[in-house]
Amino acid sequence: MSQDSEQTTASDVTISELLGAVKGFLMDSALPALSGRDQFNARVAANVLGIIDREQQVGPELAALDAAAAQQWLPGDSGSGTALQQLSRALAAREVDADTDFFEYLKQRQLLVAAINNPRYASRKVAEERWRSES
Amino acid sequence: MSPDQLTALLNNALSEHLAGKISGKELMQLERLSGGANNETWRLTWGGTPLILRRRPFSADSVDQLEGNILGLSLVDEAAVIQLATSTSVPVPDIHAVFDASHPIGEAFLMGFIAGESIPQKWLVDDTYEVARSRLAFQCGEALGRIHSIDCSLLPANIGPTTLDKRFAAAQKRLHAFGDISPVMQFGLNWLIDHAPTEAPCVLLHGDFRTGNLLVDEQGLAGVLDWELTHQGPAEEDLGYLCANVWRFGHLQNPVGGFGGYDELIAGYASTAGWTPELSTIRYWEIFAALSWGLVCQTMGALWHSGNGDVERAAVARRRSEAELDILLLIEEWENA
Repeated sequence: MSQDSEQTTASDVTISELLGAVKGFLMDSALPALSGRDQFNARVAANVLGIIDREQQVGPELAALDAAAAQQWLPGDSGSGTALQQLSRALAAREVDADTDFFEYLKQRQLLVAAINNPRYASRKVAEERWRSES
Repeated sequence: MSPDQLTALLNNALSEHLAGKISGKELMQLERLSGGANNETWRLTWGGTPLILRRRPFSADSVDQLEGNILGLSLVDEAAVIQLATSTSVPVPDIHAVFDASHPIGEAFLMGFIAGESIPQKWLVDDTYEVARSRLAFQCGEALGRIHSIDCSLLPANIGPTTLDKRFAAAQKRLHAFGDISPVMQFGLNWLIDHAPTEAPCVLLHGDFRTGNLLVDEQGLAGVLDWELTHQGPAEEDLGYLCANVWRFGHLQNPVGGFGGYDELIAGYASTAGWTPELSTIRYWEIFAALSWGLVCQTMGALWHSGNGDVERAAVARRRSEAELDILLLIEEWENA
C-alpha cells in the first residue's frame, strides 16, 4: 500500500516541478545556444518562472491579508475593483486613516510581495529583520 | 528592425553625416548592447572609430495613447542637452549625428564612444577601481553641481520649469491611469505631498544620474550617460536620486550609489555649486526616487501591454515591489529619526 502511494507520488509532477523543469531547459539547453539579446532574455525568462512559482505558493496568504484589510479599512460599499484598488482609491481620496495599524498591514503585505518578486533585493533583508518580528 | 536592415540604413546615412568628420566607408561590427529597457543602444565602428547609436525602437505614435507614459525626452532633445553639457567639464560623449522620427532609421542619435567600465557589478567590487570608488562620490557631486549650473534658457522648449504640486499631480494621474493597483505607492505619494520641502528654484537636472548610468575608469568618473530623463527641478532631486536604495546594487552601507558617503557627495557638490545642500532634503528625494522607480516599473508594464517590448520589459513591471519596499522602509526611518 505504502509502496503504491509512493509510486503515485513519484509519478506526479507538481506545478513547481514543471516550472523547475522549464527553468532547467532554459538555463542548461537554450541559454548556451543563444547569444546577445536572446541569451539575456533567456535568463530573464528563467527568473520569471521563479516569480510564478513563488506567487502560486505565497499568493493565497497575500490575498487573505488584503481581504482582511479591505474588511477593516473600507466602508461597506466601496464601489468596484479589487480590494487593492479600493484601498488605493480610498487612500488617494484621503478616506483611510493611515494609522499605525494600516502601516503595519502595508509592511506585512510588502514582505510577501517582495518574497514573490525579488527575494534577493538587498532592502528585503533589512525589512525582514525589522518587520518579521512585529507580525 | 533586424541588424542587417539597420546596417543598410546606417551605411547610407553615415556616409553623408560623417563626411568630413570621421573617415570611413562602411559600418563594421554592429552589435546590440544588453540592457536599456526603453531605448536601444548599439555599438559600431566607422573607419575604425568606435561609435554608439541610441535608437528608440518604437514610434511615438504607438504609445501616445498611453496615459502618463514617461518615455522621457525625444532623442533629438536628449542629444541637444548632451551638446549643452559639453560646454561644462562634465564628461559626456560628442554627438555626431541626430535623426528624427521621420528618418528611416527612426528617432536616434550617434555619439562618440567613451572608454570606461559601464557595468556597476564590476566597478563596484573590482580592486582595479578601488581608487576610483574612493573619489567617485565627490566627483559625482562636482559633476552635478556643474550640470545644475547650465543656463536653463538654452534648453529645448520641451524642458520647462515645473513645481512640486505639478509633479505630485502628474504622479497621481499616473497612479490612477495605471489602475490604482498599489496602496503602497499611493501611501508613498500621500506622504511625499504631506512632507514636501519648501519650493526651491528649478535647475537643469540630469534626471537619471545613478550608478548604472556612469562610466568609470581607474581615475573615477569617466562619463555621464543616458540623459533621456533630463528635466528641471530642485537640485537635491538629482542628489537624492543617486542615493536611492534601488541604485546601490546591494551595497546599502554606501548610501551614494553603493560606493560613497553623503558627506563626500555634498562636499563635491558644494565645491562647484557654491552652496551646501541639506541632507534631510536629499533624503526626502530618495523617497521620491523610490516612488519614481515604481512608476517607471508600472510604465514598463503598460508599455508591454501596448505591444511594445519583450520579456524583460514584462519582468521589470514586477520590480515595482522594490520601490514599494523602499518607500515603506524610508518613511519608517524618517518617522523614527
